[in-house]
Amino acid sequence: MKIIIDDQPIQCKEGDLLIDVMLNNQINIPHFCYHKDLGIDGNCRMCMVEIKGAKRPQIACDTFVKEDLEVSTVSKKITEVKRSILELELLNHPVDCPICDQAGECKLQDYYMDYGLYDSRQTTEKTKKGKNIDLGSNVVLDQERCVLCTRCVRFTAQITKTGELGILGRGDRARIAVAPDFPLNNPYAMNVVELCPVGALTSKDFRFKQRVWFLDSTKSICHGCSRGCNIDIDYNETKYGSEKVHRFRSRRNKTINKSFLCDYGRLSYKELNDVCDKKSSSIQELQQAFINNDKKIALASASLSWEQLDSIKSFCQKNDIELFSLPYIDDSFGDDWLKTNDMSANFNSVKKLEISYDEKRFQDVLKDSDLILNFDHKYFKNENKSDKTLVQFTTTSCSENYDLIFPIANFAHDTGHVINCDGIKQKFFSTKFRGEQITLTQLLEELR
Amino acid sequence: MANKIIRQKIVSKNFEIPNSHKIDVALQNGRYSTLDKAFSKDPQELIEMVKQSGLRGKGGGGAATGNKWQFVTNKDGTKYVVVNADESEPGTFKDRQIMEFDPHLLIEGIITTCYALGSHVSYIYIRGEYEEITEVLQGAIDEAYERNYLGDNAKYKVDITVHRGAGAYICGEKSALLESLEGNRGNPRLKPHSKTEPEWYFDQPTLVNNVETIATIPFIVENGAEGYRKFGTEKAPGTLLFAISGQINNPGVYEEQFGVNMLEFLETIGGGVKNGKKLKAVIPGGASTPIIPAHQIKDVTLDYECLWGFNSELGTGGMIVLDEDVCMVKTLKNLMRFYNHESCGQCTPCREGTSWSEKILDRFMNKTATLKDLETLKSVSTIMNGKTVCVFAPAASGVIDGILRHFESEFLECIK
Repeated sequence: MKIIIDDQPIQCKEGDLLIDVMLNNQINIPHFCYHKDLGIDGNCRMCMVEIKGAKRPQIACDTFVKEDLEVSTVSKKITEVKRSILELELLNHPVDCPICDQAGECKLQDYYMDYGLYDSRQTTEKTKKGKNIDLGSNVVLDQERCVLCTRCVRFTAQITKTGELGILGRGDRARIAVAPDFPLNNPYAMNVVELCPVGALTSKDFRFKQRVWFLDSTKSICHGCSRGCNIDIDYNETKYGSEKVHRFRSRRNKTINKSFLCDYGRLSYKELNDVCDKKSSSIQELQQAFINNDKKIALASASLSWEQLDSIKSFCQKNDIELFSLPYIDDSFGDDWLKTNDMSANFNSVKKLEISYDEKRFQDVLKDSDLILNFDHKYFKNENKSDKTLVQFTTTSCSENYDLIFPIANFAHDTGHVINCDGIKQKFFSTKFRGEQITLTQLLEELR
Repeated sequence: MANKIIRQKIVSKNFEIPNSHKIDVALQNGRYSTLDKAFSKDPQELIEMVKQSGLRGKGGGGAATGNKWQFVTNKDGTKYVVVNADESEPGTFKDRQIMEFDPHLLIEGIITTCYALGSHVSYIYIRGEYEEITEVLQGAIDEAYERNYLGDNAKYKVDITVHRGAGAYICGEKSALLESLEGNRGNPRLKPHSKTEPEWYFDQPTLVNNVETIATIPFIVENGAEGYRKFGTEKAPGTLLFAISGQINNPGVYEEQFGVNMLEFLETIGGGVKNGKKLKAVIPGGASTPIIPAHQIKDVTLDYECLWGFNSELGTGGMIVLDEDVCMVKTLKNLMRFYNHESCGQCTPCREGTSWSEKILDRFMNKTATLKDLETLKSVSTIMNGKTVCVFAPAASGVIDGILRHFESEFLECIK
């Protein structure tokens, strides 16, 4: 079936939502309240289009397509409608972009540049509302910047079903709020910051740290648990050349995480900044250790990528080392939505590569061994394991608990695949950091 | 040609009888007498009868009642009958008369409506401020339960629950009313895509009718569709409780057939403008209908179609009379204060438009406005029209447009 948008024929299915068709075809359609994973609400009135045969302009988020529907998004009339509605959205907005953390990724700014560009006609006082309200869970609210699209309210009502957020008051006094003594408190709370199209909800963790136009972005997969939520890593280089990851944002994946992330996963970006600054041991030292110690054991983290696990496996086979990989299980972590009890990102690859995860056998072999090769597993991260020689291949900083150390690139510096709890294989990409950290695969290549 | 004033009483027959809200008095005066006749008919027969009577919703919209009933019965599910008694339109005070002076008429109407729709549960959503009336109404319902007109032992089982609103005007809008009844914030819902869609209460097909509409049903059952069609006009048959307020000698509620001349109505029934002043304008059907200036009033007949011709609406028939001393800037400011206060704040044009209009009108009030402000006011009114979920903003827009259309000169006088 086809419809016509701005004189261009567009293919779509009967009953599709017009706004979805437009978004999927990269047709510019301004909107605040509509969100693919929160559904229709129809309150912002920003997505108005002109439909041939309809008396009044219609909202694209509540229009289902029919054969030969003719839509205009650029006619003079509809451009004027969009301009007027935007003017009203901005009427009581403080226009404090220079000190607003949303600047650069704010829909109000974008749409003003697209449809606004008018001089203010306001001759009256603006309505004052509350500012810098701590809602809890790292979320800060500025009611004056809010466009009342209710995405955040709908998220807590429909998705988490915790219902902390609501609207108080009517008319232009309407505002988002929490009830006294009932702060925003759920494991997914920080999603509302990302859902907010404007600067009303900002994250205490990220705000005032970095202007978004200084950030680069890379497609990746969250390594916080085995769900494999799709993320964007936002990062940059500091003034002094060191590299820093500033935040994770969810990247939409219809089947896995929709547009959401748990707060634990979202804040797990901090581990990526915790890189090991120790000087790498030499390959000769490692070879010497191989000669000195006869009984060897290797333990690989179940969060390493398919490629890393695969090269560890062949390395161990070649050197006749028994390899294990144990998952990180925490029965108190999982829930019935995104979080899983298995907190390792890639345990399914371990199983597929037929690497042993028999913990009893691992303990037995460990007792008898005198050289341990630890590939980034948390088991040896902080505990001192007595007299055995411990070789750390580590992505993060670790204690003085090692004999040899090889800092390797973490998943932000590497490219690879992980298989999530449902068996879906997904690729993550390396950021464009300048500082060259050696990847594990390269290192093992050299060791051969 | 306008209809004659005949003072026909269909729903207001018992208003002046002392203690008419008591069931014994009500029974003596014919209440509940039409139920047996209704039950002897097939429910679909009743719906056809209401369709043929041409009864139109009396809450302001004027939609055909019979069709609305049909839309509900066309759907599967538990049916609900919700009576809209959230009467908060300024200038409108007719439904309260029925609930206060003849509540058994309403109950009788509800029982028949429930029977026709196959419903056993009815809610009366009453305006929160009608505290005393709620007591009278609840008293009448209790009596009806005692006498087995309602409840498990009745011939046809109907349960009525009175639900008090919390003081929001917008909850008189049927979908906001249902949201409120479901326990949510009273925001109007998006309009359905099909024109034959009923309302939905907890996802079940639901009828929402005005108090007076339901109270008219017993008369139609008794006298048939033709009996009702004897009054009023071809397109608007029957009568309406017209209310008059403002600078008029006999303010009050008067039942009259549709299609009578407005000026004649105001002069004979209303007793003319107070203190012998000259008439300036009339707001014809509750605050939300565009104003009619005095020179047009002699040509206006009180029915839906005629008022459309004057760019206005019959609305609820609650006429507000304004005499020559009334300042139109103040009138508009007063009205916009109401709309700003009552906008639910859901849609952007309404939320921001009503408050901006009120703020601009403040500048006219203290004579600091400029010609540009007048232009802004007009364009704000344009953007409020036809771009929102419900008709609240278009109504506010119509009010601004109406007053500016006829009385712009008064606004120009307020420009510095």
